[in-house]
Amino acid sequence: MKKLLVLTLVVLMAVIGMSVKITMAAGAVGKELEVLMNQIKMFNEIYPDIEVQLLPMPNSSTARHDLYVTYLGAMTSDPDILMIDVIWPAEFAPFVEDLTDDYDYFELDKFLPGTVKSGTVQGKIVAIPWFTDAGLLYYRKDLLEKYGYDVPETWEDLKKVAADIASKEKIHGMLFQLAQYEGLVCDVAEFVHSYGADFLDANGKVIIGDADNHAKLVKALTTLKSFIDDGVAPKGVLTYMEEETRRPFQNGESVFLRNWPYVWSLANDPKQSKIAGKIGVAPLPKGDIENGRHSATLGGWMLAINGYSSAAEKDAAKKFVKFLTSYDQQLYKAMNAGQNPTRKAVYADPKLKEAAPFMVELYNVFINAEPRPITPVYTEVSDAIQRHIHDFLIGKKDVEKALKDLESELKMITGQ
Amino acid sequence: MSAKIKIKYKKKDIWLGFWLILPAVMAIFITAFFPLLKTFWDSFFSFGLRPGIPKKFIGFDNYIRLFHDTRFMASLVNTLIFAVFSVTIEFILGLATALILNANFALRGIVRAAILIPWAIPTSVSSQMWKWMYNDQYGIVAQILYKLGWLAPGTPILSEKWSSMFAIMAVDIWKTAPFMALLLLAGLQTIPSELYEAARIDGASGWKQFTKITLPILSPTIAVALIFRTLDALRVFDIFYIMNKSVETLAVYNRHILMDRAFTGAWFGYGSAISVVIFLIISIFAIIYMRSLNLKFE
Repeated sequence: MKKLLVLTLVVLMAVIGMSVKITMAAGAVGKELEVLMNQIKMFNEIYPDIEVQLLPMPNSSTARHDLYVTYLGAMTSDPDILMIDVIWPAEFAPFVEDLTDDYDYFELDKFLPGTVKSGTVQGKIVAIPWFTDAGLLYYRKDLLEKYGYDVPETWEDLKKVAADIASKEKIHGMLFQLAQYEGLVCDVAEFVHSYGADFLDANGKVIIGDADNHAKLVKALTTLKSFIDDGVAPKGVLTYMEEETRRPFQNGESVFLRNWPYVWSLANDPKQSKIAGKIGVAPLPKGDIENGRHSATLGGWMLAINGYSSAAEKDAAKKFVKFLTSYDQQLYKAMNAGQNPTRKAVYADPKLKEAAPFMVELYNVFINAEPRPITPVYTEVSDAIQRHIHDFLIGKKDVEKALKDLESELKMITGQ
Repeated sequence: MSAKIKIKYKKKDIWLGFWLILPAVMAIFITAFFPLLKTFWDSFFSFGLRPGIPKKFIGFDNYIRLFHDTRFMASLVNTLIFAVFSVTIEFILGLATALILNANFALRGIVRAAILIPWAIPTSVSSQMWKWMYNDQYGIVAQILYKLGWLAPGTPILSEKWSSMFAIMAVDIWKTAPFMALLLLAGLQTIPSELYEAARIDGASGWKQFTKITLPILSPTIAVALIFRTLDALRVFDIFYIMNKSVETLAVYNRHILMDRAFTGAWFGYGSAISVVIFLIISIFAIIYMRSLNLKFE
């Protein structure tokens, strides 16, 4: 009897010793959670010895950021896998596992190049792209047809078309997200890039003062402000985030909307949208200059592995990250949670074409999406852009003063 | 007056008492005093949470830098304006409500419970709720202001500094005036009715009764209520952060320093210095209240 007991104990301990428990910090509501739970089940069919526990994160990305700062700052070994925004890799790089040697293991050559670039910090790969996002132009197909307009190619065109239809239909012309928060940086970056300008160059140098760039910046920013001043966009856009623009748009109160891909399925859901089936989607317009280009800000989320986890946990975490970012799982996530794949090949999958034709059509937008500056001081850079550009848009400062203040603050932040 | 009675304890009992309160004292030390002392200590250093940033002692440098930081000074001014105005209005409204509720009328219990509702809703929830009511497209408050002609139609309430400040103050007053009223009401109920009876017999007017009986007896309660509210107002975070974070208070700015900049440079000591300054300002207010209202804690 005693022998039997000892034997069972030994066997039990061996089993426990072999299995690893990893925790993953991820979004934990609605469809996204449901899909992830199913993925964990599928993962456990292949790796029964790895137990994955979810650590639910708040919905607000700033709140997630603050939690990660607390975890990593305290050097805790949990969570082992962190779901991070595309703008955080540089900031968190010293705390997370260097995955440069695992480039082939994760098959990163098969991913959208922009997304891989977001996870690369000074040549080191620190995060694996999970799903991607890009700014898009939503428009009312029915209204454009009614008044005989094509989808506008440039911002000035867009303004004219929007103003005309808006005045005839007595609705708003265009909606942006210009409250003082991260979304403002995304919307502004699209304007600035479409005019071929930028705040920082690829090496992180502040280039606001460069003559040619400066002129383009002024042009881009004044064009953006003219949407508000001319009444094409309501003054309220200065207080709007994503949801405050989605709701009026799907209630039929605006001709155009700049937003992320998530709007598509919601605005086409007849249960909650008044304009289901009447929506078109296109790349955002070009700047009105020679060489103006369509630009979309790259968004999305990546997976990083905690550098303070044990070797066994890191090993298990890598397996799970590889699983989640594999072709089959990205396809599954795209079809069931509506989140855009980061692997190029998934976009050519006939199953996806059938389930989400819109995603496939916009492949070109996703592949050309432009990242925001990659710098370890990104949160500070973003904070400075938010404050000074918002001051300009609400009319507290003129464009020259706003750019000058922004330039000196960015130089201070980046130590130039 | 009662004479002070000295009780002699046996040595054994003193030790027993000591052991019994020890866990509580330790818990308070670990959760309250230690973080406070650590924050004080950290505020004299320059360091960040990013590996490779050495921790350097810099004396009062963080504090000196604070007063050259225009963003910090602006957030200090915002916080003081918010605290002074909202607490004053809350106090006046709260006192008036308390006096009304102290009278006997039908359904008094239900009314008392009902006025507490705004206070019972979590601040983050009520902030979001009010943010919607201020929205220029579908917000009821905004629509009323447009209709009354107090605001040009379409003007967003929460974009500019002063309209945001007033809008946020209104929410804070809506939320915490009931709390003030309830605290003061509890104080009012401890005043024996014989005092008013005697005053009436002596021919004292209602105002005289209020200033000579109600206010003096109520003053310890007033002090507690004001300290509570001022303390809360000086460290206000959630309402501003949710409704319009471009109007920064000390706590909102401190979050930016401690969270957004935790890994970007040597800002942690600086953030600690801001925390200490908030602590000092709150202490100053508390001392002023206690002195001016003649309150002694025994």
